[in-house]
Amino acid sequence: MNALDIPAITSTVVIMTPFLLAAIGGAFSAISGLLNIALEGLMLNAAFFAIVFTNLTGSLFLGILGAIVTTLLLTALFATVSFKFKANIFICGLATNFLAIALSIVLANAFYGVTGSIQFPGMPRLVPINIPILENIPILGNILSGHNAIVYVSWLLLVVAAVVINRTPFGMRLRAVGINEKAATAIGINAKRIQFTALLISGFTCALGGAVLSLTLGAFVPNVTSGRGWIALVIVYLGRMKPLGILIGSVVFGFVDYISNNLQATSNIPSGLLLSLPFFATVAALTLYSIIEMTMSKRGLLKK
Amino acid sequence: MSTKSSVLFEMKNIHKTYAGNHVHANKGVNLSVNKGEIHAIVGENGAGKTTLMKILCGLEHSDEGEIRFNGEPVMIHSAHDADRLEIGMVHQHFCLFDGFNVADNVVLAKEPTRRSLFYDKDAAVRDVEALGAKYNLSVDPRASIASLSVGEKQRVEILRILYRGSKLLVLDEPTALLTEQEIKDFFVTLRQLITLGYTIIIITHKLDEVLDISDRVTVMRSGEVVDCCVTSDCTKQGIARMMVGKEVLLQVDKPEVEPGKPVLKLEKLSLTVPGYNHPLLNEISLLIREGEILGLAGVAGNGLDDLENVLTGMNSKGEVSGDVLFHGENITNAHPSKLRDMGMAYVPADRLERGTSAELHLSDNVILVEHHSMVRAGLLHAKGILDFVKQRILNYNIRGRRTTPVGHLSGGNIQRVVLSREFSRDPKLLVISEPTWGLDIVSSEFVYQKIIEMRSHRSAILLISANLDEVLALSDRIAVIYRGEIVGMFKNRNLDRESLGEYMLGLKRQSTEEILDGAEA
Repeated sequence: MNALDIPAITSTVVIMTPFLLAAIGGAFSAISGLLNIALEGLMLNAAFFAIVFTNLTGSLFLGILGAIVTTLLLTALFATVSFKFKANIFICGLATNFLAIALSIVLANAFYGVTGSIQFPGMPRLVPINIPILENIPILGNILSGHNAIVYVSWLLLVVAAVVINRTPFGMRLRAVGINEKAATAIGINAKRIQFTALLISGFTCALGGAVLSLTLGAFVPNVTSGRGWIALVIVYLGRMKPLGILIGSVVFGFVDYISNNLQATSNIPSGLLLSLPFFATVAALTLYSIIEMTMSKRGLLKK
Repeated sequence: MSTKSSVLFEMKNIHKTYAGNHVHANKGVNLSVNKGEIHAIVGENGAGKTTLMKILCGLEHSDEGEIRFNGEPVMIHSAHDADRLEIGMVHQHFCLFDGFNVADNVVLAKEPTRRSLFYDKDAAVRDVEALGAKYNLSVDPRASIASLSVGEKQRVEILRILYRGSKLLVLDEPTALLTEQEIKDFFVTLRQLITLGYTIIIITHKLDEVLDISDRVTVMRSGEVVDCCVTSDCTKQGIARMMVGKEVLLQVDKPEVEPGKPVLKLEKLSLTVPGYNHPLLNEISLLIREGEILGLAGVAGNGLDDLENVLTGMNSKGEVSGDVLFHGENITNAHPSKLRDMGMAYVPADRLERGTSAELHLSDNVILVEHHSMVRAGLLHAKGILDFVKQRILNYNIRGRRTTPVGHLSGGNIQRVVLSREFSRDPKLLVISEPTWGLDIVSSEFVYQKIIEMRSHRSAILLISANLDEVLALSDRIAVIYRGEIVGMFKNRNLDRESLGEYMLGLKRQSTEEILDGAEA
């Protein structure tokens, strides 16, 4: 089997997008010194409301907007309980994850009287968009073209995140708060506000990550996120909270996930083993990445 | 006294009680500072100096009282408010961020921008370079924070508040970690800033510096202002008396003790940690005998804490080579429990994290290493413990109830708890690190007295301390460590701070023969 055939590339990109989006937001909270374990719940919440609002309005755009607004509200609740009422952020994150699951079940029952999947005939779905000229370049065209709008947005967000983190005053303060919150406060940085903003940013990117899951499927399936938020969290830390590391982690995970899915159909390797492949590959790739990065920075020091 | 018009700010009747531990840190404090003066605030640890300044800088909030700035009443709720009033503070623990370079650190929270969106790194470097040149505070703006000396780090802190346009500079214990030469340079800078129209408040408990640098001095004691006077009218003894309320004994009385058999011997002890380009400990050879105090002096960051960790079995990083012999037995990398069984006692530098268990009661902390011997029929023997603890509280003059969690005690009392536990086991070897760090004079004297008692009981004592006065007052012999190496071995006779300081800074070092001779002496 040729691993680098065209469906492989397209599938990898599709699979990696929710990871990438959740990890971008997760990086913001991680850099500000917070362990945001609510990525999973925030994505699930968005996946649910994306379907609800798309069905309600008949518009994908308004559906995604609805997912973003509701997920930001949930994030704000999570952040407020943690900051204003000083509850342990880990417990709050855990509660947010459970709340998202429960909310989708309760509301699905209340709105539509269903307990399982929610699907509406004729509801619009996210469809691939081909980019003229680019789509005709071999291989590169398959990587860069033929994806849905949120995929393109996720790439844009990755670049924006890299610029914001490394090149703006907000990014500097974000990093400073993560390094030493007390010292940052002492020099006049409003650390809590920075962290609150960082959490909202993770809420925003998780909303897109959740929306892309349910809107490509055209349905909300209970537990549609199936642990993607947790994997994204792993990618954030293994990728050392750097945009490039996050990208590598997401690509490797997406690609190996595709391969393992394929092999399940075509080979006799036990499926349990195949399903665990992406995890091993991601850990291996990101370990390699951090070794390379550390060696480079050491050389950088020696040059000086 | 000053004329009315030259008063920069006044703090009136400031009260502050900390909610967590009910410490009444400021009890109706009044402070008045004139424009263009260097105003020293002195007092023992816990006198309320830092609290008062944190209130001024918006980092703590007073329960009562008023602040007038240029005659106008002001409310200072945050560091941001203080910033608007052009008040800047350099904290005792630097607020610097590793991973940022010098320029980034200086401009942080007031960053120059390009197109009002992007951080302008080049402008930051330019501004910091210009500022450094203007005020004679040269630091390479592109250097990483980790590569700076303590003196340079302090310059970065001062550059920061100057960059932010502060006209009133509040410096909390600015000379605590500086070397003699760095202090001299630092004072030159301060005088220069005064000529440029700045006002400076300096918190300290070093009286020589107060006399040297300040125009006026406010003395605080247990949350109150004792007096405020013009420095030129003061004497060192006068200020010291006001600070502590009694005469200060700067000399520790040491009875003659004839050193006995060797107890602890280090042979070429090294510690290498990957990622560092030099060993953290480099072939250290030492010998300590019964009834002898060996002082290990050095500037923080030169291996004091590494040696403490390696000797006490608390080392968790890098690779140890060479030998540590305790009564002839090799104890390199031995577990702390084994070391204790062999008769080592340990008074760690970090008394709250490592020396005690903050949530446990005073009583539990006292018996922590002794509880095995207080078991009857498999249970702790309440009566035996009660008697034991009562005895310790009495002998060590611990102010606190048996059921008080140790974390609620003052620093001095926490250290008494540690000493009462460690010293009561008749140790053969004592490793003591920074025993009076953060303690007031009364508690410090008590600690010194107890250490001297242990020496008379013929314990071998290793005193690890960055406090040179302490090392000079207590030690029989002194080893100076610089960059993980012993660079000088001295008998403690006719030694003075300045010359030891030169060894601590790495300006001077003895020959290998001299060091080895001294090690065996």
